[in-house]
Amino acid sequence: MSVTPDIEVPKAPPGFLRRLVRSPSGAIGLIIVLLLIFCALFADVLAPYDPNKMGSGGRFLPPSGDYPLGTDEFGRDMLSRILFGSRITLIVGAVAVGISLTIGMAVGMIAAFRRGWVEAILMRGTDVLFSFTETLIALSFVAVLGPSLQNAIIAVGVAGIPFYARTCYSAALVETSKPYFEASIAAGARPTRLVLVHLLPNVMPTMIVVATLGVSTAILAAAGLSFLGLGAQPPTSEWGYMLAGSRDYINRAPWLMTIPGIAIAITVLGFNLLGDGLRTSLDPVERK
Amino acid sequence: MKLFERSWRATAGAIGLVAGLANAAAADDIVWARYGDIDSLDPHRATSTLSLQVWSLMYDTLLATDAEGLPVPHIAKSWEANADGTEYTFSLQEGVMCHDATPLDANDVKYTIDAAFSETTPSVTKGSWGPISDVEVVDPLTVKLTLDTPFVALIPFLADSFSSIICDSNAGAEGFGTTSAIGSGPWKLVSWTRGDRIVLEKNADYTNYGKLAENPGAPYEDGLIITVVPEPQARLAALKTGEVHIAEPPFDDVPTIVNEGDLSIIVAENTGQNVFWEFAVHRPPFNDVRARLAVAHATDAATAISLIYGDLSIQENCPVSRGVFGNDQEFCAQYRPAYDPEKAKELLAELGYTMDNPLETAMLVWTGGNRQKLGEVFQAQLAEVGIKASIEIMDIGSLNARVRQENETTEGTTGSMDMMTWSWYDPDILHALWHTPGAYRGYTSPELDAMLAETRVLTDPEARKAKVQEVFKYLLENAIHVPLYTPGWEWVFAVRPEVEGFFVAPFVYPNFSDVQLGG
Amino acid sequence: MWRFLSTRILMGALTIWITTVLVTLLIHAVPGDPVQIMYAQSQGTTPEQIEEVRRSLGLDRPIPVQYAMFMERLVQGDLGNTIRGGQPVLDVIMQRLPNTLVLACAAMFIAVLIGVPIGFLAAYRKGSLTDITLMIIAIAGISMPHFWLGLMLLFYFAVELGWLPVSGNGWLNLVLPALTLGLSNAAIFARLTRSSMIDVMNQDYVQTALAKGLPKALVLRRHVLRAGLLPVVTMMGLQFAFMMGGAIVVENIFSWNGVGRMAVEAIFQRDYPIIQGFILTFSVVVVLVAITIDALYAVLDPRIRRS
Repeated sequence: MSVTPDIEVPKAPPGFLRRLVRSPSGAIGLIIVLLLIFCALFADVLAPYDPNKMGSGGRFLPPSGDYPLGTDEFGRDMLSRILFGSRITLIVGAVAVGISLTIGMAVGMIAAFRRGWVEAILMRGTDVLFSFTETLIALSFVAVLGPSLQNAIIAVGVAGIPFYARTCYSAALVETSKPYFEASIAAGARPTRLVLVHLLPNVMPTMIVVATLGVSTAILAAAGLSFLGLGAQPPTSEWGYMLAGSRDYINRAPWLMTIPGIAIAITVLGFNLLGDGLRTSLDPVERK
Repeated sequence: MKLFERSWRATAGAIGLVAGLANAAAADDIVWARYGDIDSLDPHRATSTLSLQVWSLMYDTLLATDAEGLPVPHIAKSWEANADGTEYTFSLQEGVMCHDATPLDANDVKYTIDAAFSETTPSVTKGSWGPISDVEVVDPLTVKLTLDTPFVALIPFLADSFSSIICDSNAGAEGFGTTSAIGSGPWKLVSWTRGDRIVLEKNADYTNYGKLAENPGAPYEDGLIITVVPEPQARLAALKTGEVHIAEPPFDDVPTIVNEGDLSIIVAENTGQNVFWEFAVHRPPFNDVRARLAVAHATDAATAISLIYGDLSIQENCPVSRGVFGNDQEFCAQYRPAYDPEKAKELLAELGYTMDNPLETAMLVWTGGNRQKLGEVFQAQLAEVGIKASIEIMDIGSLNARVRQENETTEGTTGSMDMMTWSWYDPDILHALWHTPGAYRGYTSPELDAMLAETRVLTDPEARKAKVQEVFKYLLENAIHVPLYTPGWEWVFAVRPEVEGFFVAPFVYPNFSDVQLGG
Repeated sequence: MWRFLSTRILMGALTIWITTVLVTLLIHAVPGDPVQIMYAQSQGTTPEQIEEVRRSLGLDRPIPVQYAMFMERLVQGDLGNTIRGGQPVLDVIMQRLPNTLVLACAAMFIAVLIGVPIGFLAAYRKGSLTDITLMIIAIAGISMPHFWLGLMLLFYFAVELGWLPVSGNGWLNLVLPALTLGLSNAAIFARLTRSSMIDVMNQDYVQTALAKGLPKALVLRRHVLRAGLLPVVTMMGLQFAFMMGGAIVVENIFSWNGVGRMAVEAIFQRDYPIIQGFILTFSVVVVLVAITIDALYAVLDPRIRRS
């Protein structure tokens, strides 16, 4: 498929990566996220112990050389559990956002492209779902499907769809309203081609920013469900679940509750900073 | 101690906010905090222990239990049965009054039992009332129950709060069970704010005939407030500041509380509760007794309990717990499959399972009491011998439904086992669980049916005990009902120093009649 | 303005109507037999009674008929009875809804009170160290899981220091949950206020006013504040819904007797009538709040007022 020279193909603005790394939030965010991905990928190698093996050490050992983050009520190594937890957390974020993003973008782009009654139905429907709020959608899903990590991920993913659809729709609308676009349609350009070559690359930057920020929301939401007991089930080393389970030991072993909390906060902060940095470096207004 | 309360009230249908100062706890109110709320004030509408505990304060029963858990006279000053065990006649105490100052007599007893067997809205515990076919008011102080078949468990049932006598003045009352409830017990209902608190005041005219308490009359303190505080650490904080007098502490803090010595710890004994493994027996792998035995042999209950509950809970060897008729630790220990991981591995090997080809099963656990942590330990123990169990946590209601569903599923190779809990005052519970068709449609067999049927009709205690123990042996040897422990933890109470006279009667009924707030 | 509002009201009505449909369908999406599950704890029920319950709930009828029955009861203010305890669902919800609304309003108050001035200050000092510091704090605030913040506050102020009561629904009980919800949302308001203020400051008329030599403080007060707060007002509607959602977690931590805690209990107990009632109530509240905010916006924004 060749690109006709008279049509300007938008790309990510030049030098965007450099700007991203130069902005303090982008740089810090990128470092945190890369570190997380590293931990998640190599959890098997990095973790000193089996995360679910009881009695790896004594119970409630405070952080020390052998157990850098201490041990929990079953003598499981906290560092290993946190490391394996990062894997779960990233999977939760990626899958949930993946669900929201693919369905949301499909809805948004179809609505912006087809216009007319299709647009009306899709976007009014999205508005209605949007006013349900993500929490309510997620909770209803879990209420029906029953508590499990998998269901929590689906719930959070579905709950995010209206937001992604809306954002994608407005981004796509900017492009489809341009004269060249209307002209191409009039000239009989193939819809698939128009969508893939013109629409998609134009909405992508916005959607990448939204998705990056969305990962943090999804992680928080899923951890919240696990915290309530509506998500991950034992012995999964999901951070929200670990945090909830260690409440009883706050007096004896405060680190059991503090550490998963900090892990969640840092992860979410990482994605927030990265998303912020991406927005700044992709946004033509802020660039000035 | 000062405690200001504001309760928000809403007129149904409108979202109007009307603030009002209400429920200010007076200095002489006892405040008891629990993790959850009751389901209903109507004893025919719920089965939770949290509900039963409150009914036992507000209502009376025909009989009561003594410190050992045995039935003794209460509102019924005596009773007699015919030789067949199909007719029971109770003579009632004279002068018992309901909270609305109407007398409590045979008509109220009839009203209660008729309501339990109501065509349209039967009691949720209808089955436990047994085969009652007729209730006759012989005279105001005499009531006669006629049964279709003998039912020995009737007497202990009539001593439990499931059989609370509902005064007939509740008939047709608007909001009975939610905003009003007339009983005859030591405490009267003032108000119930669902999810928040139940406010009771003392029944100044109360006479205690048989309930376990030193106090022969009305409670010493004027009021009793039962609040809901789900977060254990928050309950502990409230105990320390004096906001509440009695509460279940976070169990991990119990040793510290004991060491500090400010609060005293009271552990409920003879709770009658039995936590046990049971299995989906109508499909592989647990249709084979060897698979069930493997689980039983792989389970080190004593270690798991001490890990999670410290010394607040004890291992139980019998299918009905200590304090219940027939329980005998030594007898049951002979037959209960002991912890023996090697034996478990052998059995699994016979069935073709290895560490690389593990037996896979779901492990269903119900919420609360740190049972999910216990499940996690058992999960690790089973993994040691090559049983891969995935934990699913659910509410007790969902668990009941799920277990039955699992038993009705005959296809598949993934097993299902569950940590079930039953609390009952009589071995008749085993009839409900394991006599055809079985409460959960689980294991049944003709020989077990025959034994269980006999436990219902043998009126001679020694003969009944022998038969009950035969049932124990059968259930244990076939690993149908594998007892794990009898809970202490959920029923550990931390009590402030100024509280005197608080105790917990058998089957976890906390009693406040003797309580005095000193200091 | 009326056209604007009537569109909003129509959308709101549509939302609530769709909720009623979804809520009717909800019970059919449950794996297994919902009636069996709901009545599992009741040992007296015979198969005949289960059938009776199914009939009385209309579950044996075609779904459109069920929907009609549901709506018929709904207009009479009947949301059915709870499975546990058999009480009217509407009463159970109405007893607790005010608590959740009070919590959400208090949290909103805290969020605006803290967030807006911070955002304003950051915008005023745009690019300065103050701005950067404040925005870092804000982004950290957004990243903090509120269930963690809540537990920490609970342990410190109620458990360690014993300053605040832990049970009941009094004003003192409100402090910690409202603070937990309010703080994380304050960060969102701070960021929004800042960017909105900066947008307005870059507008030509503001630049002109400044160029004319009018005092900066006066320009800010007269021109920037009002225009800059408009998006914040719009945001409040969305944030309110967000806080109602956040209340679900926070109520569970602080024993606050609201509908969020009720909903989580109901999910565990499979008490579907309560879950249905909760979803319906939640969406009604969110829609009403959104319409109110839109009306407020219409009053504040001269462009809409004139149209």
